[in-house]
Amino acid sequence: MSGEDDIRLELLFFSVGGVHFAVDSGQVAGIATYDGEQADDLFWFHEEMGYDGNSVSYHSPNIVTIRTGGVSSYRVIIDSMEDIAEFSQNDIRLFPPLLEVFSLRRGMWGVLPRHGRMVLLVDFKRLIREIRPDIN
Amino acid sequence: MADSEEQLKSELILGELKKRQRTKEVVDVEEERVKVVIFMCGVNLYAFYGRDVREILPSCAISWVPSLPEYLPGLINVRGDIESVINLRHFLGEEKDDHCKCLIAMAVRGDFHSGILIDSIEDVVDIPLSTILPPLATLNGAARDLVIGEIEYGGETISLLDIGKLAALIAL
Repeated sequence: MSGEDDIRLELLFFSVGGVHFAVDSGQVAGIATYDGEQADDLFWFHEEMGYDGNSVSYHSPNIVTIRTGGVSSYRVIIDSMEDIAEFSQNDIRLFPPLLEVFSLRRGMWGVLPRHGRMVLLVDFKRLIREIRPDIN
Repeated sequence: MADSEEQLKSELILGELKKRQRTKEVVDVEEERVKVVIFMCGVNLYAFYGRDVREILPSCAISWVPSLPEYLPGLINVRGDIESVINLRHFLGEEKDDHCKCLIAMAVRGDFHSGILIDSIEDVVDIPLSTILPPLATLNGAARDLVIGEIEYGGETISLLDIGKLAALIAL
């Protein structure tokens, strides 16, 4: 693949419950500290992602506001942002076929091996389309 | 008394025995053999066809992924390739256990490839194809969907599992 074809992504890294995630910074409209607020457009990340019965603790919760492109807003509580870095599409691995059918339902579209960890790439727009079509 | 040109009875018998032996050797050589990997999963021994198992990995960190079914514990990184892992116990009706102590058999059949959690490798043996018997009619429900035959090993009857059936079961 030539350099001109290479799509680059700026990723925001965060973790929730010991699982590492990253989101394209272009989907994020803003980040704010979570102060205990409750609202109809505000969701806990672990609930959105289907962590099921696993208890999840947030050490430094933050609210990420996602650009929805519609009139409704969508905000997610995550643990603190850990890093921002740019990557090439060539750095990203596909989910194995057996898992992809499940991962895509929760907006997880790829895997980035980084620092010996597997970082799960989340597309919040896909997640909204899958589980909250009323917001789209 | 028979003359010396008449064939001795012993020669006749000897010739017949040697002929039989040669025939048996030919049969032995021509009989198709298959390699099977015998492993422990839960409290029972099972086997896979050796051709379906690419390698056995030592226990390694499995990265959990939200929203996966119980039989898919997560992802592993095999020399840069991201692979899925299947918890075989779920399909065999074996008791659940800690993944950390398990080995991972990398299974490949056509387009299907995945790690499969097993407890330990017991043996890898070549067996005549003819010694693989049809699955027992009394086999319990959980394992029945995966078993392609039965083999004898160390005086025990072991279920031979089919990777293709496992792939089909998961694809459902």
